[in-house]
Amino acid sequence: MNLKEIKDLIELVSEKGLAEFEIERQGFRLRIHCFKETAAAAPSSAATPLIVSTAVPSPSELTTHERKLLKPETAASAGSSQPAHSTETAAEGGETLHTIKSPIVGTFYRAPSQDSEPFVKIGDHVDSDTVVCIVEAMKLMNEIQAEVSGQVVKVFVENGQPVEYGQPLFGIKV
Amino acid sequence: MFKKVLIANRGEIAMRIIWACKELGIHTVAVFSEADRDSLHVRFADEAICIGPPPSSQSYLNIPAVISAAEITNVDAIHPGYGFLAENAYFAEVCEACNIKFIGPSPASIHLMGDKSRARATMKAAGVPITPGFDGVIEDEDEAMGIATEIGYPVIIKASAGGGGRGMRIVRDADELTAALPAARQEAQLAFNNPAVYFERYIETARHIEIQVLGDQHGNVVHLGERECSIQRRHQKLIEESPSPAMTPELRKTMGEIAVRACREIGYVSAGTIEFLLDENKNFYFMEMNTRIQVEHPVTEFVTNTDLVREQILIAAGDRLEFDQEDILFSGHAIECRINAEHPVTYAPSPGLITAMNVPGGPGVRVDTAAYPGWFVPPHYDSLIAKLIVHHRTREMAIARMNRALEAMIVEGIDTSVALHQQILAEPDFQAGRLSTKFMERFNGKPTKRAAKEASNVA
Repeated sequence: MNLKEIKDLIELVSEKGLAEFEIERQGFRLRIHCFKETAAAAPSSAATPLIVSTAVPSPSELTTHERKLLKPETAASAGSSQPAHSTETAAEGGETLHTIKSPIVGTFYRAPSQDSEPFVKIGDHVDSDTVVCIVEAMKLMNEIQAEVSGQVVKVFVENGQPVEYGQPLFGIKV
Repeated sequence: MFKKVLIANRGEIAMRIIWACKELGIHTVAVFSEADRDSLHVRFADEAICIGPPPSSQSYLNIPAVISAAEITNVDAIHPGYGFLAENAYFAEVCEACNIKFIGPSPASIHLMGDKSRARATMKAAGVPITPGFDGVIEDEDEAMGIATEIGYPVIIKASAGGGGRGMRIVRDADELTAALPAARQEAQLAFNNPAVYFERYIETARHIEIQVLGDQHGNVVHLGERECSIQRRHQKLIEESPSPAMTPELRKTMGEIAVRACREIGYVSAGTIEFLLDENKNFYFMEMNTRIQVEHPVTEFVTNTDLVREQILIAAGDRLEFDQEDILFSGHAIECRINAEHPVTYAPSPGLITAMNVPGGPGVRVDTAAYPGWFVPPHYDSLIAKLIVHHRTREMAIARMNRALEAMIVEGIDTSVALHQQILAEPDFQAGRLSTKFMERFNGKPTKRAAKEASNVA
């Protein structure tokens, strides 16, 4: 499967409003999962963000270009110069969605340790000083606080995933 | 050979490093601040990591952020470019501690050459001529007076932790020294967090001549000739060329051998540049050593047919230099103009949106840039947006080539220094090769220039 074919598939899934799509071919499996709410929440973006699940086999088998394409779209794009860590997008029903973004570069962890429960799950209530995750940088575990009060409605990244500065981590309904 | 390299820089030098890596089959990781999200170096690198908000201190100078990005992308080495962390010995140490190869000299070399008064003393011990001066730091005023008299006025006061033209004051007699010394120490403290200053005789009419060196990890060192960089405004170079109009093969051999010997003495590895002042009698004096790849490296690359960034990478990977001193041949003449996003008369910075852009081409023309039409030049960083370099058989032909290239170097939407470069090239002194560090002072002081500046201020 080459890059063009993957791109065509993503377009097709998006166009047809499919929720999920899976294909397996010659040892390569691709799964595309579409979040319906995001489609309504970001009317100004050109492409509806899609998340590709980890069904894709070892990343080393993909070229870096394919890997770049398959990275989840960051919510704050299009050369915006907002300095604040948070963005608010209007979701359905007129409520505001606050995005918790990573304040540092590092590796994202959902739980205090390998065997523990995640700090927060979808549906949990958080206060401004609730620790929602850890971003590890240079062997230091940095606890990230919610900084707002509300309900966790989205998790944008996966446990153990590298994150960059400003990368969306959680969506909080305030 | 490295599999992956992170480029801890931005703009045209980040592009330069990406090109060298691509040619060596090395994967590249770009880091960028939020202001550089649409930058060309982000576009052309294989991976890109946002490391912070626009201010340099929180992004390109943010060591934990850069190292963290290097760790999560699993790079083998970091190329620091020039500026930012390139001459930060602590950063080089952190890289070593994290098992990431720093593409440059050792932390010890960076540290030594970064302390300007220690560098002078080291060079002196290595047999390099230095400007008459006092090699320690100046403690008290009485001592200062005595020392200055011994050196002979005019004297230049320099910050020990400074460099790049910052923290310098010229005094012509004892009274001026009394007034200037405490102020100079305070400035040094504020700018470099170190009030230590040292003195040198100030050479009135001098050329800035620098020698490019390369050293590998096996003790081999070569020099690649000189660059003349006398055309500077406020110690910022505007035009550089190689060879220097004042150079002779004998002088080049002498200065080159001295530079190589000094590097061997201090065990210097990677690319570096030793800066000298050349007075009217062709005496040369050590000024400082830059332990990094420099902005103006392309003029040397043209004249010696080498790729210095490639050599840095190979050296860092442990390879031996592929050439000896005898293999380095000098051919033709190269000139570089630094195209800055500045008003050509008032020098006011001009960030903003580039609405149209055309770069010259044709034989013997090279443009190193990260600018493109539609790119917003951010206000947070230095104003260099492109380097225009030409090469031809003789200096006269190179000037003619630069003139026609400048004409085609079109950037719309912002101000650039193109018109300034055209005027400098038209100066009889420039064409005759009569250069010195006073050139721009004279140029800017001309009645026509001052009138133009006043007109711009009024407008």
